[in-house]
Amino acid sequence: MGDILQLVLRRLGLGLITLFVVSILIFFAVELLPGDIAQAVLGQGATAETVAALREKLGLNDPAFIRYFHWLGGALTGDFGVSLVSGERVSDAISTRFRNTLFLATYAAVIAVPLSIFLGIIVALLRNTLFDRVANVLTLTSISSPEFFLGYILILYLAVKTNYFPAIASLSADMSFGDLLHRTFLPALTLVLVVTAHMMRMTRAAIINLLASPYIEMARLKGVPPWKVIVRHALPNAWAPIINVVALNLAYLITGVVLVEVVFVYPGIGQLLVDAVAKRDFPIVQACCLIFAATFILLNLAADVGSILTNPRLRHPK
Amino acid sequence: MSNFVIVYYALLIAASCLAAYFKKREIFILVFTLTLVSFFMGIIGGQSALRFITTAAGLLAVAAGMSYAFREFLILITPEGVAKELRTAPLTAAFGMFVICTYAIAGIFAPIIAPFGEAQVISSAFAPADETMLLGADQLGRDMFSRIIYGARNTVGLALLATMLAFIMGALAGLLAATKGGWFDQFLGRFADVIMSIPSLIFALLMLSIFGTNLIVIVIVIAVIYSPRVFRLTRAVAGNVVVMDYIEAAKLRGEGTWYLIRKEILPNSTAPLIAEFGLEFCFVFLLIAGLSFLGLGVQPPTADWGSMVRENATLISFGELTPLIPAAAIALLTVAVNFVVDWMLFRSSGLKEM
Amino acid sequence: MAPKKDVLLQVRDLRIEGYSDEQWIEIVHGVDLTLHRGEVLGLIGESGAGKSTIGLAAMGFARDGCRISGGSIEFDGLELTTTSESDLRALRGSRIAYVAQSAAASFNPAHRIIDQHTEAPIQYRIQKRVEAQEDAMQLYERLRLPNPGEIGFRYPHQVSGGQLQRAMTAMAMACRPDLIIFDEPTTALDVTTQIEVLAAIRDIVDQFNTAAIYITHDLAVVAQMADTIKVLLKGEEIEEAPTEQMLDEPKEDYTKSLWAVRSFKRPQKARPAGPDAQPIVSVKGIEASYGKTKVLDDVSFDVYPGMTVAVVGESGSGKSTTARCITGLLPPTSGEILFKGEPLPPRYQDRSKDQLRQVQMIYQMADTALNPKIRICDIIGRPAQFYSGLRGTALKSRVDELLDLIELEPSKYYSRYPTELSGGQKQRIGIARALAADPSFIICDEVTSALDQLVAEGILKLLDRLQKEFNLAYMFITHDLATVRSIADEVVVMQKGKVVEQGPKDEMFTPPHHPYTDLLLSSVPEMDPNWLTSLLEERGTDQIGEAADV
Repeated sequence: MGDILQLVLRRLGLGLITLFVVSILIFFAVELLPGDIAQAVLGQGATAETVAALREKLGLNDPAFIRYFHWLGGALTGDFGVSLVSGERVSDAISTRFRNTLFLATYAAVIAVPLSIFLGIIVALLRNTLFDRVANVLTLTSISSPEFFLGYILILYLAVKTNYFPAIASLSADMSFGDLLHRTFLPALTLVLVVTAHMMRMTRAAIINLLASPYIEMARLKGVPPWKVIVRHALPNAWAPIINVVALNLAYLITGVVLVEVVFVYPGIGQLLVDAVAKRDFPIVQACCLIFAATFILLNLAADVGSILTNPRLRHPK
Repeated sequence: MSNFVIVYYALLIAASCLAAYFKKREIFILVFTLTLVSFFMGIIGGQSALRFITTAAGLLAVAAGMSYAFREFLILITPEGVAKELRTAPLTAAFGMFVICTYAIAGIFAPIIAPFGEAQVISSAFAPADETMLLGADQLGRDMFSRIIYGARNTVGLALLATMLAFIMGALAGLLAATKGGWFDQFLGRFADVIMSIPSLIFALLMLSIFGTNLIVIVIVIAVIYSPRVFRLTRAVAGNVVVMDYIEAAKLRGEGTWYLIRKEILPNSTAPLIAEFGLEFCFVFLLIAGLSFLGLGVQPPTADWGSMVRENATLISFGELTPLIPAAAIALLTVAVNFVVDWMLFRSSGLKEM
Repeated sequence: MAPKKDVLLQVRDLRIEGYSDEQWIEIVHGVDLTLHRGEVLGLIGESGAGKSTIGLAAMGFARDGCRISGGSIEFDGLELTTTSESDLRALRGSRIAYVAQSAAASFNPAHRIIDQHTEAPIQYRIQKRVEAQEDAMQLYERLRLPNPGEIGFRYPHQVSGGQLQRAMTAMAMACRPDLIIFDEPTTALDVTTQIEVLAAIRDIVDQFNTAAIYITHDLAVVAQMADTIKVLLKGEEIEEAPTEQMLDEPKEDYTKSLWAVRSFKRPQKARPAGPDAQPIVSVKGIEASYGKTKVLDDVSFDVYPGMTVAVVGESGSGKSTTARCITGLLPPTSGEILFKGEPLPPRYQDRSKDQLRQVQMIYQMADTALNPKIRICDIIGRPAQFYSGLRGTALKSRVDELLDLIELEPSKYYSRYPTELSGGQKQRIGIARALAADPSFIICDEVTSALDQLVAEGILKLLDRLQKEFNLAYMFITHDLATVRSIADEVVVMQKGKVVEQGPKDEMFTPPHHPYTDLLLSSVPEMDPNWLTSLLEERGTDQIGEAADV
């Protein structure tokens, strides 16, 4: 087990380093601004005094790397500074919205992951049949459609024309859980459509790849029935690719969530980010970017650790 | 029950009987599934659902016919070698090529095809469609149809430019890394890892918030975001070629890096690279559309599909299809490119996927 | 050898089609086959003869992309071509078993060996788990696997290749089938390991009186195993006869030519004498390592002009690494390489154009040695252009001359692509590319091992002729002692990165040998059907199993 522990630790270390480098990137990208933040916020018309005052207030007179460690230290304790536009604490603006976003992503994932793995395995078993070809065309179409296209189609047919679901996913504190699920169904469904197609295709490819290996042929030549070939011989070796597929697509959800939140006016972190970008509210942009990037890196890390842990060759070293 | 419903089911059942009689198993399954789906949909959605299914099936049939005709046309006009490849193309790929050609024509000849200028205000806001305005007017009273045609030029052109830039940077770096190896390879690989560990849309938003949203910035930022992906793939493809004995032979002959890349590696990597170009184009195209939709991409009054969806989004709540048209234009092109890429990937992987 | 004479398997006019380029093409054209209980039938043929496809068809199985399109396969009175898939499945593993070429790839990495072994007996309710495991251990013991009580509880990647291959034979035996298909079970193994596997398979098949189809491309191997031999060529039967008869008096020309392949032998040359005789390449005490593992340890030998030095050894012996050191791809950590008395820079990047030109290389796999996107004329022309600066008509006539030398008609092959050529032709192009540089020393890395025997012989003859014509020195890397016997002047035997023994060929092939050379020499199967039996007697049974399987 020593080998495995070492591999996992090494991978964790690499993840931390990546996160660190990314935080540097996010922080210092803002330093690339022509002029500086104070100038950018106040615009060309500002007087020298007001710019200097704001600079003082934001602590811009310190060297960049000191401000970076200050910022990073704050970020680690959940303090991302103060919004340039509203003066509100960034952490306050983010916390509930981040929870909302996580809820939406989880909602979509809970439906999409089992569904797509199940469908992916079925399509892999029925490969090269008509069903497979139709599924191929449908998933390609779904992948190719921008999230807002799918979102608006759903709004048009399931909200505006039929009134099954609300078109705008607004939330309030006193909603029941069932109500919550009903209100956020359309944004979740949009995400499910996009991610399921991706995941199905990748699961199919992973399974087919596996079914071509000699030990699967050997199992069939031993007279093992087809369901057992899949469950006993293919699946234990398929975990690594499937875990990768899932993690990759959960990571993909993060990007998709931004567009979907805007389409459905959902009070999540994605919409906050888009607003902040338009208003050039840098502390919020930096905080959101760091949160998205960290989630993305963590998911990839989880995938890699998962495939290390399920690899039979590593689990039973020589 | 109306005549339409009776004729509808009679036709479906007759078709499935014929398929069963001639032992065409796949066609039978297809038609029979359609019948079952129709029953289901008919009960829920009534006659209008059946009409929808009929229209959809009709459209599919027309698209299939068109793709078939287009493939035959291509086979006729291309030289022997290409024609032989084209004969193996499935209808979906032919459909993809047909759509791409149509878009290319629309984009190149936009000023000739479009009846009005792209920023020309010709009527009141959200005016309905009439003889002069095929798709009605947008929120400022500009002709939707003309703007969609111009959008083909602007949106696709921009995406193409960004993809090409990303491709040149990524592919060159990938080829060099594969040929040189060593720390140079390591360094580029780590660098690509870092860039790719930030989700692309988020990275784009960060950059655009800093540098503002003008076209040059968008192209450069997107090229920087996507070049690591191209780099990874090129590195992998070229990595498979570099281990071949003929590369070793050329190295031992004393050939320089540039000769190795140009004569030995590149000719053996073109097929996957072209397919990758198509895929990258789809990603870039969707990203640009997404940015424009968020109001952070192409700025008005330039006609652009992403921003057109955003500008007309309010119409959705009145049950209008209009804002979906530019969105559909985006989806259709991406689907088309994906269909062609899918076929090319299948060709280049041989029949391994059996 | 076959006491019961009732027919177990009867195949008539078997036709199999394969799917390629969007159409079905027949790859097996009407093969007949009769197998009695307890009989071993050897199927022999070159690559593409359809041996494996026929073997699998005997189980009623066709790989994806293949289909049985005609004929009948009757197994113990049951017609397999019309039997339902579930009934066929009930036969597989229980009455017909299969042993694949690569045991390492054919065992599922996720399960222990014994669990895969007992899967079939438990499924067919022949034995309970505990009984099946005990039976497995007994089989392991009979197959002389070390630690029979324990080895099954390991995972496949924890066991060596030769042991895995025996474990797979045991697995095939689990339900005591009537018929086992052996599909090249020893091809991936080294000669010294091959012996034990062959002995184990033969013993167990004998003990249980199991019928077997033994598929291989190696004549000497099949001679040890089979009662009857059937020769196949391109999906058609050439001839079939009892083993002894087939070896002594083959009828068909094709079979005779196969048998005659190993006859090519040229006289041995001696080192040039005299004070000014100087080796062209002299390897002096080189050591090399990949990362921390040392792969070469004090390797020294000389190659004289116009002579062939064969470097022999099993996989992992360091023979290819030595070649990489000489070419400069892997700089040695110590020691040096002299070319005509001058030391060569260790890295090829530091060598002059002329030094690079003098040392050329011919590769094992012609497929990967020739760039598929470059025309023949450019492949051969490039070195001539690069080193001698030839252009235009001078270049063209040089390429024509080279094509003539390798016996390919210039007008026909000049502007073709490598993919349009056969394996042997590709290898000839590889030779021409080396010649185009006008070298004095050529490294031949297993140049014939990927080729069918007849083609390989042609290549050896060509190399011999070129050597005489241009006074070339060859370093011939090979694991095949038959090749060594036919073309070498001197032999260097390597084991685990060290030179075990070296000297003139005739000396090396006459005793006394170094123990490892002896093991290597005696392990090469001979065309005598009694070779394996007498060898095992000679070595004594206790040795088997420990011989090289470390």
